[in-house]
Amino acid sequence: MTVAEHSKNKPTASTEENVYVDVYRVLLAGMLISSALFAIALVRALLHQETYLLTLEWVRSHYHWAATWQGLKEFDAFTLMMVATALLILTPVLRVVISIWAFWVDRDYKYVVVTSTVLAVIGLSVVLAHFGVK
Amino acid sequence: MAGFFGALLGVGGGVFIVPVMVLMFHLPMRVAVAASIVSVIATSNAGGSSYVEQRITNLKLGMFLEIATTIGALTGSVLAIYLQQWLMLIIFAAMLAYMSYASFTTRNLDDQKIAADEFAKAKQDWLSRYLELRGSYHDLAANRDVEYIVNGSAIGTAISYLAGLASGLLGVGGGVLKVSAMNRYMNVPMKVAVGTSKLMIGVTAAVSSILFFLAGLIHFPVVAPVALGTTIGASIGTMVMNRLHSSVLKWIFTALMAYLTYGMLAKAVAIRFGVHLPSLGE
Repeated sequence: MTVAEHSKNKPTASTEENVYVDVYRVLLAGMLISSALFAIALVRALLHQETYLLTLEWVRSHYHWAATWQGLKEFDAFTLMMVATALLILTPVLRVVISIWAFWVDRDYKYVVVTSTVLAVIGLSVVLAHFGVK
Repeated sequence: MAGFFGALLGVGGGVFIVPVMVLMFHLPMRVAVAASIVSVIATSNAGGSSYVEQRITNLKLGMFLEIATTIGALTGSVLAIYLQQWLMLIIFAAMLAYMSYASFTTRNLDDQKIAADEFAKAKQDWLSRYLELRGSYHDLAANRDVEYIVNGSAIGTAISYLAGLASGLLGVGGGVLKVSAMNRYMNVPMKVAVGTSKLMIGVTAAVSSILFFLAGLIHFPVVAPVALGTTIGASIGTMVMNRLHSSVLKWIFTALMAYLTYGMLAKAVAIRFGVHLPSLGE
């Protein structure tokens, strides 16, 4: 689709434009950064013929800030994949957070409430499930 | 292919990914399911960003319905402990079968309504009016701007809740129900429903993925190629979708729903009666 064609598709209110632009940027950044990290990690894994145990304990042993930082510095393929996955997963949540901000800036308080409710339910779901209520 | 069809139809594509990983790559079911859910986010980010850029997605509608789907997913996860899964599968299969039939019988309706500008003539309910749920997009296949007014917010919310419930309870079927709810009951053109659903499914999948991630159940070397592949597929799918007539999309959508219905019934029969009907993935 060309830029001219894009311009034909306008949201109804001009203030909505900020939200569209912000959401687009967050999603695009999440997609590009995670894809780039996945691609680098896959190339490195293939070049070094790395194999993984993939046991629960082995995966969890990488869940430490120091280990993650060290892995990133060394361009470790597994760490790159882990960080890429984390970024990918957090992108939709960040999109909701950024939407709240954009609606707030536009003084569209109805949608600040709507979007904050979504974020609250997401938070509640994660907390309940993580602490074993599920 | 999963990313491509997922973007075309506004669904996650997990229904295509899990069988391939289990049958062709002999991965354990739980590894395949976890990777599939993460890949749903990949398609949602790729497809969602493109549809937002093209202004096909209706962000306000998506935000509003996300309340219902996220609450649905939460209650579905809790209810999964108490409800008989085979019974839930049959109930949702019946619902999907009806939606599939409805999609087939209304396959030409969108194109006719676009031609007659009928999406802009609907009478709006008070909630849709209060929330300013309306919009417009440029339809490349029809080569015209399509304005629409959203209505039926109550039934749309109810079905979106059920879509979330299906995701939380059964892990599948959320995307198709959201698209059906918007298109059939809320006067939303098929392409807007696809674009909006594509954005919405990312949030539901993100909650499940965070939990899988924290539990250490995501096998990143499996996720990496799947996420990359579905991202590429979804990016191509978003370029194609708006160029197709809505009737074509509805044909493919009907076939997907029929397949999902059969898959759910086959799983229900396997759980309840121990009889394994021919089915992909399980």
